[in-house]
Amino acid sequence: MRTPLSSGLAAAAMGLLLLGLVLRSWQVLLLALPPMIVLALGSLAPPPSPRIVAFRSLSADRTDAGREVDVELVVRNEGPPLDLVEIADVLPREFAVLRGTNHAVVSLEKDGTLRLAYRIRSPVKGDFVLGPVRARSFDPLALGVHDVVLEVRSPLVVAPAMEDLRRAPLVPRRTRPWFGQVASRRIGPGTEFWGVREYVAGDEVRRINWKASARLERLFTNEYEGERSGDVVIVVDARRESLVGTEADNPVEHAVRAALGIADRVLATKNRVGLIVYRQVIDWVPLAFGRKQLYRILDHLVHAKPGGEWRVSHVGLVLSRFFPRDCLIVLITPLQDRDALTAVIELAARGYDIAIVSPSALEIERRMRPKTEEDRMAYRILAMERANRVAQLRRVAQVVDWDPATPLALALRRMTAWPRRA
Amino acid sequence: MAASRLMSLGLRWTPFAVLALLETWVAWDLLAVPDRRWITALALPFVTNLVFLPLSRGSHRRWARWSGLLALGATYVVSHAFVLGIQVLPALVFVSLLIAQVELRILAERFAPLFLRPITEAQQRQIQAALLRALVRLTIASILAVAIPLLAADLATAGVVPVTTIPTALLLSAALVAVVLILALLPSLESKVEWVSGASSEPRIPRRRMDSASKVKDN
Repeated sequence: MRTPLSSGLAAAAMGLLLLGLVLRSWQVLLLALPPMIVLALGSLAPPPSPRIVAFRSLSADRTDAGREVDVELVVRNEGPPLDLVEIADVLPREFAVLRGTNHAVVSLEKDGTLRLAYRIRSPVKGDFVLGPVRARSFDPLALGVHDVVLEVRSPLVVAPAMEDLRRAPLVPRRTRPWFGQVASRRIGPGTEFWGVREYVAGDEVRRINWKASARLERLFTNEYEGERSGDVVIVVDARRESLVGTEADNPVEHAVRAALGIADRVLATKNRVGLIVYRQVIDWVPLAFGRKQLYRILDHLVHAKPGGEWRVSHVGLVLSRFFPRDCLIVLITPLQDRDALTAVIELAARGYDIAIVSPSALEIERRMRPKTEEDRMAYRILAMERANRVAQLRRVAQVVDWDPATPLALALRRMTAWPRRA
Repeated sequence: MAASRLMSLGLRWTPFAVLALLETWVAWDLLAVPDRRWITALALPFVTNLVFLPLSRGSHRRWARWSGLLALGATYVVSHAFVLGIQVLPALVFVSLLIAQVELRILAERFAPLFLRPITEAQQRQIQAALLRALVRLTIASILAVAIPLLAADLATAGVVPVTTIPTALLLSAALVAVVLILALLPSLESKVEWVSGASSEPRIPRRRMDSASKVKDN
């Protein structure tokens, strides 16, 4: 393939040639020779067509956002010697190369190999594919090139970083009949003392309250508050309205991080968790227990990208068809529009127990903007609007107004109990 | 690492040094033009070149770079062809330097980013070998670009090649045009991209599991 330089040299040679003929000047004619000689030298050794194979290996095919992955690309030349070949391992733009290089210009002998080892990191989650490998053989005078694309692709799943919510007071208020760790305000198997009743045949001996029995000269048995499990449905608002900020610092990324942390925490306390993601499509995961459910939720969250023009009120349709009424709904939304407000009021009216985590798009935007007087004024007005919206929501649900620059656990800790008791 | 950074600096600044030399050369020649009208006429492409070159540097626009170099070359050729008269050796050196400057800038753009990242010794050796090979080729091309026209001029003025008759001059011109066309058009007849099916993504080193990814340590 011809390069712009060879075209330029040919044009220059032709121009000088014509000028020399017009002026009848042999000196000008002579000046046409240097570009022609360079072109001729380039034509004497044209770049060979590369016949190369490449192998790529990764230290991990699943990783977390912000965690490093080692990549090794081995390129072998199975064709003629390549005088000068440029090799680039194409990476998704989200990745940064931390160490080594994914790009080299080298000479490769026949059966010669090139090993490119480098370390990459993505600050954002996603389902990525590394590759293809692009090779360009060119002559050293940059007059001709041969391009080859090697379809070597390696999938790499980058999971979102998880918020540490181990100490967050997050339990569903309404419980289901299954054994769990949530105090159910009903008598049952548990560890918290509930009351004393008269002994009946069949009661366990270890549950007999010996002090009360001795005082009243009849046998009495301790009763405990039953510990059961509940259901939590996490609703992630990943609509287009939620996209404010950069690729790594936007409400959707933070909402995904929060959703994963909450799911992990709720599943660890033996509750069922379900998920609804509002993105280009409405995506949901039915309620289930355990570690596998966390991976199911993770797989759905990895694909959450801002998109779609849904109304928040549509969440009611999915909830009423696929989830029980007595579950706790954790709605993670930046509250960018009033639609969220009306939708939450509607859900509360239908009897749903709702808690809202709101990553503040306003704080994200403020960090990105310069601090002029106009910006400060605009921030104050928007902050008032947001505070007003949050105050309205607090009548029907508990709201955590979260600045994503701070850990979510800290924002949750400011609440005495979350969600609040009815 | 230190050596590689030095090399990168040299590679980065050589094209600018050559360009500065060419600009000074043309400016010096312009000062030697006796006629004011010619100075005014020639100052126009020269100033255009001075405007375009920083613009191409700042905005990375290819057309600005090419236009700047074209204006510089045009200023030199026109000033010498019409006013100052062409001295063969300096003119050939000027044209060769202009070509070398473009070649060096392409090399710098291609190689310099490679030296800015921490790379292994083996990679560094391979890259340096390729760079050396390219520089050797460029040096040979530059020397030949000056020497061969000088030799041709010498042969022509000595009367070894008879170019004094109209048919031979026409034939020689036609031959030169044909050579230029062949050299320019031959590479474009080849295919642009080839898709190679011999690629494989088979791993060479054992994959580690997700939970062991955190154990990867710095080399």
